[in-house]
Amino acid sequence: MPYIDEIELGDEIGPVEKIASDEDVLNFCEIWDAPKPNRFTDPEIAAKAGMQGTIVPGIMTMAMMAQLLTDWGGPGAIKDLDLVFRQPVPHNRALTLAATITDIREEDGEHLVECDILMTGTEGERYVGGKAIVALESR
Amino acid sequence: MHSHSVSSDDSRATVEQYVKWIQVLRKRGHTVDGIVLTEHRKFDFGKDYSALADQYNLRVLKGSELDTRYGHFLVYGVTQALTQEIEFSDVRMDARTLMQAARQHDAIALPAHPGRFGIGLTDYIAQGESFDDVEIVERLNGGSRPGENERAEELCQSSNLFGIGGSDAHLTSHIATCMTDFKANIKTESNLVDALLSKEFQPVWLKDIVTGASQS
Repeated sequence: MPYIDEIELGDEIGPVEKIASDEDVLNFCEIWDAPKPNRFTDPEIAAKAGMQGTIVPGIMTMAMMAQLLTDWGGPGAIKDLDLVFRQPVPHNRALTLAATITDIREEDGEHLVECDILMTGTEGERYVGGKAIVALESR
Repeated sequence: MHSHSVSSDDSRATVEQYVKWIQVLRKRGHTVDGIVLTEHRKFDFGKDYSALADQYNLRVLKGSELDTRYGHFLVYGVTQALTQEIEFSDVRMDARTLMQAARQHDAIALPAHPGRFGIGLTDYIAQGESFDDVEIVERLNGGSRPGENERAEELCQSSNLFGIGGSDAHLTSHIATCMTDFKANIKTESNLVDALLSKEFQPVWLKDIVTGASQS
């Protein structure tokens, strides 16, 4: 895990490539205990909801983005994650997750890093974006 | 020329964060002289960023991005009189009415991301609509998907239109990815309208502006 004095404005976290497969979403919905059938796993229900196919649950995309940050900053590092869901996230497509550090500050004795975080697709789709605050240790 | 702060519901960047990020860009050698906040469907008359702008030696101007039945339009030089004539929250307004009203009130309205698939001006033109008052469009948009800026470029070429560039930033680090390089020295929203009417500007990518004068 990086220490706060190793971080500079503009540093990148990631990018990390991920795919949310049908099986991944099914497993997530099982653990999440989502009511079935649903638009996340059933193509007919997704079509009735106006979707072009089954979609990744918002809470799952949020978990994927949170994982990007905890893999970097460590478990429990996330202080805030504020996302805007701009487009439905499809299954079985390459997703790129990345963050850019935009502020470094000390607040109430904590060393905080603020970053923009984005999930994009291969065709330039900006599926989910927002900002996060992560706490890092100092030496 | 096109950015959204937390005053827009889908942005997560404050104006102060944008301004601080521009200092990062400047340290990297990029020239950024100013930004224009174009909040969705409104104009923030009550917000004054002049102290922040002075602190960081930057222009922080205000405009709007309005939804119309023919796509999104950027409006510069917004006045109280214009907002009394045009309901900024009306997402079904006719863009042609908006453009005419804007000019009558010394403002200017122009199509944002005209190449955007599904909601860009090019699609409405393809459907047979005509927009005789359009002389300038947003040719470079930092939020565009592959192919959309190219469609805007084709529109400029085929219709002899002038183009501006705007980042369409909703996140701090996206500010100034595309900018507009003006010949004029712009200090106010009124100066900005005059500079647009002069047609002496060009759209630029941030990566291409490492030295030299430019204004976003």
